[in-house]
Parts: sequence; structure tokens; C-alpha cells
Amino acid sequence: MANIDVVLTEIIRNRLVAATEEMAKTLILTAYNPLLYEVQDFSITIMSAEGDMWAETPGVIVFSQAFPDAVKAGIRRWEGRFEEGDVMIVNDPFETGTHISDTNIYMPAYYDGRLIAFCGIAAHWADIGGKSPGGWCPDTTDMYQEGMCFRHQKIVAAGKKNDALWDFISDNVRVPIIVKGDLEAQIAACRQGVARLQALCGKYGPEVVRSAMDYVIQETDKAMRREVAKLPEGEYAASIRLDSDGVNPDGEFLVCLNVDVQKDRIKFSLNGSSPTAQGPINLPAPCTRGILASSIKGLLMPFDPCNAGHTLCLEFELPPASIINPLRPAPTDSYGYIVECLMELMFRCFANIVPEHCPAGGYQLTGGFITRTQPEFGKPFIMTDPVHGGNGATHDGDGPTNQLIGNGDLPNNPVEVTETRHPVRVDRVEFAPEMGGAGKFNGGKGVRKDYRFLEDGCYSALVIENTVDVTAKGVNGGGNGRSGYFVFNPGTPDEQVYTKRIASIGPFPKGTVFRSTTGGGGGWGSPLERDPQMVLADICNGFTDQATARAVCHVAVVEEKGEWIVDQAQTRKLRAA
Amino acid sequence: MQAKYRVAVDVGGTFMDFVLMDEQTGEIRIEKVASISDQLPSQFMKGLTAFGVGIDAIARIFHGMTVGVNALIQERGAKVGLITTKGFRDVLEMGRGGRKPVYDFVQKGPPPLVERYLRREVTERMSFKGEVLEPIDLNEVDREVDYLLSKGVEALAITFLHAYAHPSHEIAARDRILSRYPLLPVSVSHEIAAEWREYERTSTTVLNAFIQPIVRGYLDKLQQKLTKIGYQQPLAIMQSNGGVADARTAGIKPIRTLMSGPAGGVIGAKFLCSLLGYKNVICTDVGGTSYDVAIIEDGKILERSQTEIARRPVLGSLIDVISIGAGGGSIAWLDHRNGLQVGPQSAGASPGPVCFGRGGTEPTTTDAHLVLGRLDPEYFLGGRMKLDLAGAKKAIEDRIAKPLGISVETAAHGIVAIAETNMANAIRTKTVARGLDPREFVTLAYGGGGGLFACAVADELEVPRVIVPMAPANFSAWGILSSDYVEDEVRTKVLPFDSQHIGETLPILNELSERAVKAVAGYGFAREDIVLLRRLDLRFENQEYTITVDLAPDWQNAEAILAGAREQFVQSHLRLYGHGDPSANLEQVSIRCRAIGRVRAPDIAKISAPVKAAVPKSRLVYFHNAGGALDTRIFERETLAPGQKLLGPAIVDEWTMTTVVPPGWSCRCDDYGNLILEPSGR
Repeated sequence: MANIDVVLTEIIRNRLVAATEEMAKTLILTAYNPLLYEVQDFSITIMSAEGDMWAETPGVIVFSQAFPDAVKAGIRRWEGRFEEGDVMIVNDPFETGTHISDTNIYMPAYYDGRLIAFCGIAAHWADIGGKSPGGWCPDTTDMYQEGMCFRHQKIVAAGKKNDALWDFISDNVRVPIIVKGDLEAQIAACRQGVARLQALCGKYGPEVVRSAMDYVIQETDKAMRREVAKLPEGEYAASIRLDSDGVNPDGEFLVCLNVDVQKDRIKFSLNGSSPTAQGPINLPAPCTRGILASSIKGLLMPFDPCNAGHTLCLEFELPPASIINPLRPAPTDSYGYIVECLMELMFRCFANIVPEHCPAGGYQLTGGFITRTQPEFGKPFIMTDPVHGGNGATHDGDGPTNQLIGNGDLPNNPVEVTETRHPVRVDRVEFAPEMGGAGKFNGGKGVRKDYRFLEDGCYSALVIENTVDVTAKGVNGGGNGRSGYFVFNPGTPDEQVYTKRIASIGPFPKGTVFRSTTGGGGGWGSPLERDPQMVLADICNGFTDQATARAVCHVAVVEEKGEWIVDQAQTRKLRAA
Repeated sequence: MQAKYRVAVDVGGTFMDFVLMDEQTGEIRIEKVASISDQLPSQFMKGLTAFGVGIDAIARIFHGMTVGVNALIQERGAKVGLITTKGFRDVLEMGRGGRKPVYDFVQKGPPPLVERYLRREVTERMSFKGEVLEPIDLNEVDREVDYLLSKGVEALAITFLHAYAHPSHEIAARDRILSRYPLLPVSVSHEIAAEWREYERTSTTVLNAFIQPIVRGYLDKLQQKLTKIGYQQPLAIMQSNGGVADARTAGIKPIRTLMSGPAGGVIGAKFLCSLLGYKNVICTDVGGTSYDVAIIEDGKILERSQTEIARRPVLGSLIDVISIGAGGGSIAWLDHRNGLQVGPQSAGASPGPVCFGRGGTEPTTTDAHLVLGRLDPEYFLGGRMKLDLAGAKKAIEDRIAKPLGISVETAAHGIVAIAETNMANAIRTKTVARGLDPREFVTLAYGGGGGLFACAVADELEVPRVIVPMAPANFSAWGILSSDYVEDEVRTKVLPFDSQHIGETLPILNELSERAVKAVAGYGFAREDIVLLRRLDLRFENQEYTITVDLAPDWQNAEAILAGAREQFVQSHLRLYGHGDPSANLEQVSIRCRAIGRVRAPDIAKISAPVKAAVPKSRLVYFHNAGGALDTRIFERETLAPGQKLLGPAIVDEWTMTTVVPPGWSCRCDDYGNLILEPSGR
């Protein structure tokens, strides 16, 4: 590559990243489905004519790493016979890597009649047919129960809408207006990306764009290898057992990760992981590779816009027909649990190797849905309210609270919006400090949120990533975070506590209080090393009390003239013991 | 003596800029004094008196200030206590929970400006419809306020859930507190931002309380000094929304003044360009550390209703300014891929670019321009400063050219080109991404570095014309002179936008209009001179994000508003996103009203013959597209006559700015002294 213009190369790379950002904005601003505009359960990718990643804007990081696999499958299926103006649709989990609700839309970009690139958007649809509304199926036994499957059909062919397919979608989803609104938003964003690519080729020529991005990928690979080569060579291993696959509560569901760092290469082996589960917790291979690639990229180069160069030094060994490489038509709807487990396993392997980029274990996923489907009680609704817990502590500070761990950018819903939209009142939203692991630096706290049902006929679905092994593991002597749980009518004779996931319970009478308490993060370092001034602040702010501070941190805090102060002498004595 | 001058004072990071304008002739004079952060009021007076005109001759003073925003960025505000609804004291610290840099697994949000022990809860509850579910317990308010004062709190913020829907509890709490502590600064959320989303509203209210004592103290001191020398005319403070308010209002709601700096230039751009006959303008302000872009579309300044400052959200109407780290001091560096990057880090004013010779070691865009020959090392700031060309060359050579194996000129060109791409991308997000075609716009380039980059960025976007106004480095201050008094009112009221529900919207529209008009009337405007704008935030049912549409003045009844606003909304949606169903259900989210008290627009003076005779000069300037250095004529701006035309390559130098006319471009001096640059042959 002797003739590379380094300045122009950087300009082209920059323009492509900007194009994906614009596409993301269009999707967010026009989507009809809160999973897209609020939760950002999507990602945007621009790929080469061969399907290699050039640029991305992730909402959820695992999608864009897996997207190239889906496009490559489409190229094989059509043997490259795309036409200008085509828009393709695919959601087969064995090609997209996630679950069937995540529908990938992609569009070939042409310049002067030649295929130059692809623009794609993966997005979680509001409904995909199948047995459960909204596509949340915790107990399926094959993918056919989970919803309609698309495998690279043309939803728009050469610029003309494929009406038969649109009608078919309309007739097979529960909320056709929302699904079609989102599909329009996906297509509008893809078209925008294609227009940007065409403008770029018009200005510099498709060959220049192509060779610039080849160069960027090559240099990114070199940079990634330099980072890998700085790591101490050796093998790092960790494993997590999950409690259930949603169908078979007694089985063993083990995920094993072995990371082998040799010179400038990393090999991930997942040998020893359990065979394909009967229930839907399986994670298809594109996503298994994708989440490991995203994690290592984040640990080594968190702020670099992603491209295919970040993954060239990685190798994967995924035992076939296993829980992390299932075969079609295994069920995959609850794929997210293993995604989070794999990130957690990566953190365990790397916490002491790259502490500046790696936290202790984060809270276990917990989420409560409130729904009403029977119109005789009032207007049906589905309320998804993401409530985060505590993230893991870091080597230099307490873990953040109310921030999604791992896989993406997911803001919560304002109470004022929730109460306006749904027949629900929120009585409180507050920290649950007891959920975080204690440490030199504490794990992030849990969040407690009380919902009061204002009308009859509401049901709940409880999502708890309830593994046998704790995921919110502390590092270097830090305590583990506690797992989230749900309580109905807390503090009354009708109180019911739930610690496991449940597809649907109800109906509840109006006035029922539903309390969700999310888990906390793991601590970093021993609580005996926590700075007494930080313990003092914890007491002033009501995050802990005198007795706990004394018992866990060996810090004595006493009251003097209405102010809390650290009793230095006593603390020294306690800590010396 | 007849008061005949209007004065604008704009505070920047390094200088305070003063512009004195003769209201009759439009002639202006400029002063600059150092911006010394702990002596702003006395520096203000120093600059004001330096004009040497009697205080009686000054009819109005307009002031753009940075006291509030600096306090916020440096987190040097008051100790604030928060009173909020029982069950919700942690809202401020929790935030919304997103993680924007998604690959950064150790990302943390900003620490709360109010620690938990200073966030106190009282019994009270409103519904989203504004019904009282639980009355407020004022004894608890007394108890919690006494506790906070015992902890040394200097300012209070009050945010109750759904206070935007009905403010009676916030009003009751505030009145009770003021009856006991009349001098305590109290910020209440429904006055600061009557919009839903409790975190954003709490954040905005707390930020207001955080900077209020400092801003109020500053304004009080300033007014005392002005009164002392006999000034009795209005002191108007620039707000983020592009209008001014009186000093008293600004002291109560300082959060509205945070973006007053960039606002001045945009207001000036609108005024100047409407005079010159341009309706679509890309306003670009190149300073030492940042490049600020704003858009005027069809004569209207593009606004937004929320922004983020120091990682914390702020609600309220403001001019939509996108700011990127690409200015004269922006540092060039190589990333891990050996990719050339520029900014966002900046060498600032100190140590500044390498060529300033103040100890800077990292090459900046200014160093690159110098190496390319676009700046004259002997004539920077009109000869007030000598530049170190050898130092700049060496820094670019060592840090960029050698590692990349390219020539110093290619590296310097690369630095400038990368900065220009970043600038063009910023403009694209506000034009192309919104369905606007930059080819239908003109660029107005101001700020100290505007003229160096303007033509290249225009080339990249195919913008057909660039305008460099007079005194471009002081343009923001000049712009403030053309401000009007503006008051905004907003209320969130989520309703289906149809004939069954419009009856609930109309009274709110009237109430908000009345409040805004009354506030502007309070500044001394006759009601018939006040212009009223009414706006609705609309969306398709099931969508989340809204588009703000203007209601035409003649849409007075329900039918006219329903039909007109729907048509506006659908057209905007089509233009922005390429689709829009004209008959789908719509939903209204927020109602907005703006009252404007028009200040008589200043006249702009035409220039006559040049003040100075031209001395022919030329030097070699590197132009990449021309393949190397070209012999380039250098002009002093003061020597240009109205109507004079130059062909590129050429350079126009003036005290505070250098304008590059690249090969293939021409430059004409218009009757007002503006430089009009266009690709030749048009």
C-alpha cells in the first residue's frame, strides 16, 4: 500500500463513522417502539461489499459484531445477485446470532452500477409473531415457537416495496402499526447511509474509499496486536453455572471460557460448556464470537470506533451443538443471559490484567414487566421499564449505580413519563445500598422501585438472571453483590417474594404494590482498606450505619455535637486486630 | 445630552470584547480588555470608560456573560440543598442510567452536585394530571429547611414530582420558606423548566440554584458600579435563547444565560444576513478551542429545548449550537493506528500554539497555517505578536511528518484538512442530516479563525458563498447589539392532538402567552409592540421524539390550529426522515410561547473610500490542490475599497483575522465592508 494518502484515509474513516451516527439518530427519532427510541436495543453497521465491518454505531455492542456474519450469509444465499434499491431482511438467529425478535435490515449500496458496500440496522421488533407478545419466550423448545423467520428476503426489491411480504408481516404480528413504523424507520436510516456512501464515492472514487478502508483495517489490526502483545502471555479461565434453561430446572448449564494469550494473538476456547439446552438460553455462534470480540475490544481499546481490524487477531474454538454454539432449530430467545455471563467471565479473566478498563462483576440482570392484555379491564398495554442495578467497583473508585452493565447504552424511563402512559403509580425510586458488595471500593448499589397498580387486570413477568454462581463477583477481597428480587405487597400479610424468573403471574387487583429491587455490583479490594473518610460519608449519606461500618470495614464512627466523625484511635485499634 | 450609543460587552475566556455603536449612523468602535476572572466588574467598567463617551450618552448596555457557565464547568458554585417529593431524593444521583461510550466498561456518571444528606424529602404528591393526591406538609418543609441551613446550605432547589402539571405545592413551599428566610435564594422547578422528566427538571433546577448566588452577586456588583457613575438605563443580559432579559430576571434564572456567548454571534448573523438578503445561513464561529456551528433556515434560527453542560442535562429553549473541539489551538496528534487526529484537546491561550513561543510543544492548527504560509510570522494580530515559524515547523516535523514519512508541508496540510473535515461533519449533522442542502446556504465566518478555514469547508460542502463580516473577531459582541427582549414559557401537557382534546390545550396556550407577554411588558414595552410566537411539540402516536411546529398568528380557533399544525408536522417529518402519514394520529407533548419585545434594530454603516493606501505585497503560500506553493498576493483589509474584487490565491489580513482566498475563489468587498467569497466564474 505504497500510495496511501494518510490524510484522505482518516477523512474517509471519519465520514463513515459520522454516517452511522446519522443513521442511528434517524432511527431513534422516528421509531415507534420504546425498545428502539428509549432502550436503544439496536445497532448500525456499514460493511464492505464482502461484508467486513467498516464502521458502526452500537446501541447494543453485540449486534454490530455479529452483523457481518448475517450479511455474509446473505451474499452466499443470493450469490451476490443484489440489485440497486434492494432492502433485505433476516432474523434467523443462526445467522444474526441473537434471538428472532432482532430483525436485521440491510441494503446494498451501489455506485455507477457496482456494489460498493452494505448499510445495516439490527433492531428489536415490538413483536415477531410466535407464542408470546413482544417476543419474550422464556420456555420455548425450538425456534419455530419463537416467531416468524426471515432469511434474506427482499422487503424492497429494486426500489419497489414487496407488498406481499409487508402484508404477510402485518398479518402475523400483534402490533402491525408499530412494527411497520419501525421497519420504515430502519429502511429510512439505511437509505440515508447508502446516500452518504454514494456521496463519498462521488467525491473520492469507490476505489479510493475501498483502499482507504482496507488500510484502516490493516492498521487497526496492527494496533490491536500491539495491545495484545502487552498482555502477559498465558491462559486465563473462568466458568459460570446457570440455574435453569427455562424448561428444565434440574439440568446443568455450564459456560466455560478459556482465554489463551500468545504473543499478539488471543484464542478463546469454550470447551467444557454444556450441550445445547432444551430451553431458550442457547447462544448462537455469531453472537458468542461477537460478545467475546466486543469485550476484548472494550477492554483493550474502549474509545476506538470499531471495524473489522479489531477482530483479526482473535481465534475461537466453540464446541458444536453446545449451549454456546447450538444447531438450528434450537430455541434461543433468552440469549441475553449467556451474553452477560460471557462478559462477566471476561471481566474475571482480565480484572487484574487491565484494571484501568475492567470493573468487578456487575449486578445480575433483573427486570419486571407489567402488562394487561384483556380489554375488559381497560386499554391493553405492555410496560417495559428497564431498572438497572449496581455496576462493579473499579480499581480506583466505587461502582456506579443505575447504569447498565455490559452490553450497551440503555437509559431508564422517567417516572413522570411512566405515570402518564400507564395506569401505574410509582411510590418510590431509591438506592438499595445493601445490595452492593463491600470493598476498598464498594460495588454499585441496587435500585428499589415500588409500582402501585391503579387498575385491575394487570399481570407481571419477572426476569431474573438467577445463576447458581453469583455473577456480581468481587475482586481481590471485595464482597459479592446480592441478587435482585421482587416483592408483591411488601410489609403486608399478603407479601410474596420472588427470586426466580416467571413468565406471567396475575391478574392483580388494583392497589397491589409491586416492588422491584435490583442487584448490586461486586466490590474491589478488602473493605478493611476502605478509607475511613469514605466510610464516614457513607454514614452521613445513609448508605450504611455505624454497626455495619464497624463490623465490615473496621471503622469506628461516632456522633459528636450532632456531627458524625471518625474515631481515629478506635479505628486504628479495630484495624490492627 | 441625547443618549445615542448602544454598548455590547461580551466576556470570553481571554478577552472582554466591547462594541460601541452609534444608534443613528451604525458606526462602531471596538475595545478589548483582559478577562480577569476575579475582577470582571472592574474590568467591565474599565472597558466601558475606555471609549471616552459620557455615561449619559449611552442608551443601552447589552451584556453576554460567562460567570454562570464558568462556575458550573469548574464546579465552584454554592452549597445547594434540595427539597423533593417523598420517595424520590435519589433521582438526582441516579440519572438516566445510559452509558454512551458503550465499550467503556468502567464509565461513571457525573457526581451529584447535591450530596444525599442534603437532599431532603417532604410529604406531598401530585398526579400527572395535576390533581393533589396528598397535600403538602409545610411543617416538614420547615423542619427540612432548618436542617439544611444548619448544614451550611447557601441556596435551595425545590422539585416536586409532576410540578409542571400543577405548581401549587412548589409555590406553597417556596412562599413558606421565604416568609421565614426572605433572603434565601430559592429555585423552584416549575419556574425554571415546566417540562416533564423528573431527572432533567431536577438537574436544571439544582444547576440554577448552584450558580444563582454567584451570578446574582456579580450582577448586583455590576449594577452598583454602573449606578455609581450615573448610569440609569437598562442593563440587558444575553440569554441562551438569543434574546435578552433584564439583570433582575437573569439573577433569578441564571441557568437561562449559560449559552449566552455563542448566542450573540448567531443573533448578529441573522440580523446582518437578513439585511444582505440571505435566508439560509450556516453560522460558524472559530475560536481558540472550539468551532461552533448554528443554522438559520428560512430566516429562523434553529433552536433546541434541551442541552447538556458539564455532563448534566439542562432544559430550556436555546439556540442549537453544535460545538466541536476544532479551533486555532486544537492539537494535532497521531492515534494508535498512526491516524492523524486534530483536537479535541487544545493548547488554549496558554501555552498556546508552538509558534506563540510561550512554551507550547504540541503542533496546532495555527502552527499548520503558519507553516503553509497563510499567516505572516511578522504581522500576526496586526504586527502585535511575532510568530516562531521555525518552532512550528519543527514540532510538525517531529510529531507528525517524520512518524508518517511525509513532508512537513503535506503534514501541515493534513492537519488543516482533518480539522476542516471535522468542521464539515459538524455542519452536515445540522443540514444534510436534517434534509437541508448546504448548496442553498451561505456561510458566515467569524471568530478569530473563521477566515482561515471558511472557503475550504465551503468547498467540501459545496456551499456557494462565504461572508466574512467586519471586525469578525468581535462579531459576537456586535451581534448582541441587535438582540431583542425575549421571554419563553413552556408547559408539558400530553394529549391526543385532535378535536376532542384541543379544548384543553387552548386555555394553556392563552395562559402561557399572557405570562410571556406580561413579562416582556414588564421591561417597558407597550403590549401592541410585543410579538408573540406560539409553538407545539408534536409527534405521531407511539413515537417518542417530537418536532416543534410554529403556529401561524392567524390560526386562532381550534380547527385552524389542528389543521395547520398537522400539515406543518407531516411536512417536517417527511423532509427530515423521508416518510410521514398525513392522516395518522398525532400527540401533543409540550406547549411553548415566546414573547418578543423588539429593540430598534441598529443601522449598519456603509464604508467609503479605504482608510489606508495599499502597499503591494506577496509571499509563497502552500495550496495542496494546486500541488504546492503559489505566489500569493497579500492585502490589508483596511485598504480594500467597496466593490473591489480579488482573485485567489490571495490573503486578506486584518488586526484580528486572516482570510484565505484559495485558488479558484474570488473575494469582493461589498458596500458595508463585508468580504464576499465565491468560487470564480459564478
